[in-house]
Amino acid sequence: MSEFAEDLSVILAQKRYERISEIMGLAVKKEGESVRTYTDMLDRVFLNRYLGIPIFLTFLWVMFQFSFTVSEPFVVLIEKTFEILGSFVEQSIADPYLVSFVSTGIIGGLGSVLVFVPPIFALFLALSILEDSGYMARAAFVMDRFMYRLGLHGRSFIPLMIGFGCNVPAIMAARSMDSEKDRMITILVSPLMSCSARLPVYVLIAGAVFGSAHAGTAIFFIYALGIVLVILVAQLLRKTLFKGEQSPFVLELPTYAMPKAGSALLHMWMRGKMFLKKAGTIIFGAAILVWFLSVHPWEATAGGQLIAESYIAWMGHALEPLFKPFGWDWMTAVALLFGIVAKEVVVGTYGVLLGVDEGTLGESLVANGMFTPLTGFAFMAFVLVYVPCFAVLATIVRETNSFRWPAFVLVFQVALAFLVSGVIIVLGRLMGMS
Amino acid sequence: MNSGGSVCGGSLPLAFLPEGARATVSDIQGGKGMAGHLADMGFVPSARIMVLKSCPPGAMLVRVKDARIALGRGMAMKILVNDIEEL
Amino acid sequence: MSSTKGITESITAALIGNPNVGKTEIFNRLTGLSQRVGNFPGVTVEKKAGKFTHQGRVVDVVDLPGTYSLTAKALDELVARDFIVEEKPDVVVDIVDGTSLERNLYLTFLLMELDANLVVALNRWDMVKARKIDVDLDRLSELLGAPIVTTVATTGEGMAELKSAIIKASQLERKQKAALDYGDEVEAGIKSISSIINEKRDLFGKYPQRWLAIKLIERDERVLDMAKSILSGPQMTRIAEVIGHE
Repeated sequence: MSEFAEDLSVILAQKRYERISEIMGLAVKKEGESVRTYTDMLDRVFLNRYLGIPIFLTFLWVMFQFSFTVSEPFVVLIEKTFEILGSFVEQSIADPYLVSFVSTGIIGGLGSVLVFVPPIFALFLALSILEDSGYMARAAFVMDRFMYRLGLHGRSFIPLMIGFGCNVPAIMAARSMDSEKDRMITILVSPLMSCSARLPVYVLIAGAVFGSAHAGTAIFFIYALGIVLVILVAQLLRKTLFKGEQSPFVLELPTYAMPKAGSALLHMWMRGKMFLKKAGTIIFGAAILVWFLSVHPWEATAGGQLIAESYIAWMGHALEPLFKPFGWDWMTAVALLFGIVAKEVVVGTYGVLLGVDEGTLGESLVANGMFTPLTGFAFMAFVLVYVPCFAVLATIVRETNSFRWPAFVLVFQVALAFLVSGVIIVLGRLMGMS
Repeated sequence: MNSGGSVCGGSLPLAFLPEGARATVSDIQGGKGMAGHLADMGFVPSARIMVLKSCPPGAMLVRVKDARIALGRGMAMKILVNDIEEL
Repeated sequence: MSSTKGITESITAALIGNPNVGKTEIFNRLTGLSQRVGNFPGVTVEKKAGKFTHQGRVVDVVDLPGTYSLTAKALDELVARDFIVEEKPDVVVDIVDGTSLERNLYLTFLLMELDANLVVALNRWDMVKARKIDVDLDRLSELLGAPIVTTVATTGEGMAELKSAIIKASQLERKQKAALDYGDEVEAGIKSISSIINEKRDLFGKYPQRWLAIKLIERDERVLDMAKSILSGPQMTRIAEVIGHE
């Protein structure tokens, strides 16, 4: 018995399947060989050489559209609720310090973030439906041609897609990859996928500087930029740190199944819960911190009215030189600083700094002349790249069992962010924009 | 039931088969445990398979043991088949 | 190797099966809101656990990762395998997709080799009937040596029967299952290796002997490491002779 182990494993597997065939012959009778099933019929369309990718892109577009339209009513509901809460607090509490704390700090900061929870949940729901129905595997198959050429593993497709919702579950989903190298590349590249937490920032800035007519286009370009960066960085990593052959792509395409409402919702809830915990703890803590630093020293800021005299303003001014070349001011510096905690906080921070609620935030930004279309776009790009939020960093620590990689990601992405924003500004100035 | 394909006992890599072709697995090459993994999934010698989709240089979709498995081109090159029946 | 449970002790059942067979749905229906998510000890593999009560008995259910096989080459396969051997659940429920029996039964065989106390849940029964696939359940159950319950996870059909089958299986004396004959050459190898293992039987603990021999023939890394640490040099050499390497 001196055959190689591979042959032996294969031979044992063969023997098992032979016995299974025997058993099937004795106990199972099928009518006709391979019955044409609805799965086959659907695959003829979804996996079609020419239609496959357009169909996938359409599904992608529908997914995002769905997330925003379905969540609309909930967003309005939350906005209204917080408005009522805000005025109730102002009327019922006498102590101005407490009023500031609750109204601006808690309600203002937190509220402007919670308003984005519905679209995020809706996105997770859409992703769950796509996964549970079995279509995701088809999308991975159809995209494999490109993924392979781009240095990405076909299997990383699903985790990266999840990254559109939130980078945290995306990084965890990378566990499904067989090769450690491919898994690491996927993990290191996921933070560049525009997660839904960045969306509030995009919407805010794009809406303010581009107006509702062109905001959508600007946001689309940012998403596209993210994808381009994912590809470039993945190739870079593959050529430098993670040299080696790509691991084999083997993926079963399950039979299509009608996604059950219950399961899809549960799936959505499990992923959304992760996000909610983030909103509940980290972001809330950050919102309070931002409020605190913005109203202290209490006397200097005249009870929170003169933000320009607060600690936070001091911090912002200290960082300003770094961002001056990009046309950003100290408030932006502060917002970015707090965005490290969680990207949604960037919006909340502006809310606190400008002393306005979410609804009128966009107008305030424009009124204050803080962004031009060029600097606004560069800012969006900076937010896309600069740093993964705390939750993502924590997840990377857990998934890679070290602090080395999160540190690397931190440094690398900050450098990349400056580079990308810089390029955008330079190109824009060359084209005569301000 | 044999048209082209088997050349006196020789086998062809699965990757070369066109859509709709059926064949029998004759051997699996490859190290690093891939052969074992493929075998576990049903790609064992004497298993009958059918090519559902072939999108070079991308993946191939193959029916084996009642399941649909997508294989990267590299994998498909390592699975040798004979007894080929083309459409 | 029998274990009959006293009427007040809780029963542990592990769910396993190929990916996409409806295992999650079945787990949800069995455990409902009692489910908790955690990790298997020391690894980044998710572990879901919950419980149900039926016929007065409490059953703790653990959801094992969906896998095609139980090799040492994939982390989640290893985790599933370790759980079955180390924690020794009273019942292992193998969830099988009725429309894809051939491939699904592969795992069933691997579980039998691990000496798992099996209950087979034949899921997607509605589709099996719709496709006019005629399954002789009694015969199949006899051939597999395990009770079979047909289920339709999407509607909840068969859940009560599954719960009863789990409880019943935990109470029965386990019979030695008929082993799969791997052919003369391999069987001879298994015999030689088994006798070598037997020399230090106790140190191999909970692992079934035949299974160990088969894994050594497959050159399973984990089992090889275990054998190296337990057996002496000369014993390992004898094994190496049988499996042709090392």
